[in-house]
Amino acid sequence: MAGLELLSDQGYRLDGRKAAELRKVQARMGVFAQADGSAYLEQGNTKALAVVYGPHEMRGSRSRALHDRAVINCQYSMATFSTAERKRRPHGDRKSTEMSLHLKQTFEAAVMTQLFPRSQIDIYVKILQSDGGNYSVCVNAATLAVINAGIPMRDYVCACTVGFVDETPLADLCYAEESGGVSSLALALLPRGGQIALLQMDARLHQDHLESLIEAAMTACKGVSKVLDEVVRQHLQEASVLTRE
Amino acid sequence: MRSSVMVEEPVLLLLPFSSDWPIRIDSSPCLSQWEVGSALLENMSPMKLCVPGDKLCSEEDCIPGTGVYLRHGYIYSALAGYVLKKNEGEKRPVISVVRETEAQLLPDVGAIVTCKVTSINPRFAKVQILYVGSTPLKDRFRGTIRKEDVRATEKDKVEIYKSFRPGDIVLAKVISLGDIQSNYLLTTAENELGVVVAHSEAGAQMIPISWCEMQCPCTQAKEFRKVARVQPEYLQA
Repeated sequence: MAGLELLSDQGYRLDGRKAAELRKVQARMGVFAQADGSAYLEQGNTKALAVVYGPHEMRGSRSRALHDRAVINCQYSMATFSTAERKRRPHGDRKSTEMSLHLKQTFEAAVMTQLFPRSQIDIYVKILQSDGGNYSVCVNAATLAVINAGIPMRDYVCACTVGFVDETPLADLCYAEESGGVSSLALALLPRGGQIALLQMDARLHQDHLESLIEAAMTACKGVSKVLDEVVRQHLQEASVLTRE
Repeated sequence: MRSSVMVEEPVLLLLPFSSDWPIRIDSSPCLSQWEVGSALLENMSPMKLCVPGDKLCSEEDCIPGTGVYLRHGYIYSALAGYVLKKNEGEKRPVISVVRETEAQLLPDVGAIVTCKVTSINPRFAKVQILYVGSTPLKDRFRGTIRKEDVRATEKDKVEIYKSFRPGDIVLAKVISLGDIQSNYLLTTAENELGVVVAHSEAGAQMIPISWCEMQCPCTQAKEFRKVARVQPEYLQA
């Protein structure tokens, strides 16, 4: 489409950001009192709500319990009003199932499940408004919710979606960029150790560009982790001020 | 034969949790709110906040406690909370991370749990675990007390109907986490374990008169239970 440049000559993107700039992240922990852990996170216009229950006894089939660690059960769903057109099927469709599986794999890498044998940890994430980078926002929101629940984790899990346009990696894609034919890569990182929890890409990219794209993704994730760190520390300060007499 | 407990008035049966009970809370990364509060008050300096992944110290300086993990010779935090260093009498202090609010606690092998009997059967009694140590559980876990785990002596002559009844509150110890088919396996084969609170068929709370009998204060009827020997300091004379 003429006039809709993903990256202008001056280096500005569709929403006015620079190539490596992230969207504004705002988050709150402990939004629900009845769940063990909960968090609400906005990254630009993408809004996600994550709720964590557990660890608790296995529900449903006891045979799926693991004798030495906890089972992490994730469910990803989108609100029907989250996209431009009303979503017909919020749960159970192929994309949601795939996302749930990715979230499960990501958190199995970070949560210390061996401390809770034969139990289950549930992570439910709901996208309230979808504007690109759904998986990343879910991971970030779920990290805060897991920390709020007091479940031991090795490190934060921060995720970011990056794309490649005109030889430049763009960090934190929005919906217009994702649907504009950009090769997007989603990366979930444990920032302190620099360990990758999940890397997902289903587009075409030349092998020479992969290195720089992953580098850009890791830098973006570390930026996200700084913001999440601030949120967690502030929440701890507030919580202690409230409970201290 | 143990000496019987002779009381004139109804005894206030507090759940006895003295510090020398073998309660294992190794997997629980939190202290009770009382302990955290007192630790916060004792430490006049502000306690250090930490988040998951923070490097706390090296393995040579401290011993890892709860809420932390060891990696490549360094101790990292696994929780968002306060860093607590305790000198336990060993060469190095124990470092752990605690949260102020209760995290979920799971019964561990060797932990003393308080449970309520839900159903009985000639071979075993099914219970619902309510407290682990002195911490209430948010979620109800289920357990089983087998016939041979009720008493330490004369195991084959045990009658479940004469040891527990549905609705009794029982102090038991976890002996196994169970396998796929079964729930937590519990035992009451010690003097201090067994029924603490029971109601008679008339509905009144019964008074223990010996290790195997309880009496209803209203009807004076005696019923058989496997009674827990309450610590003497918890009895009001």
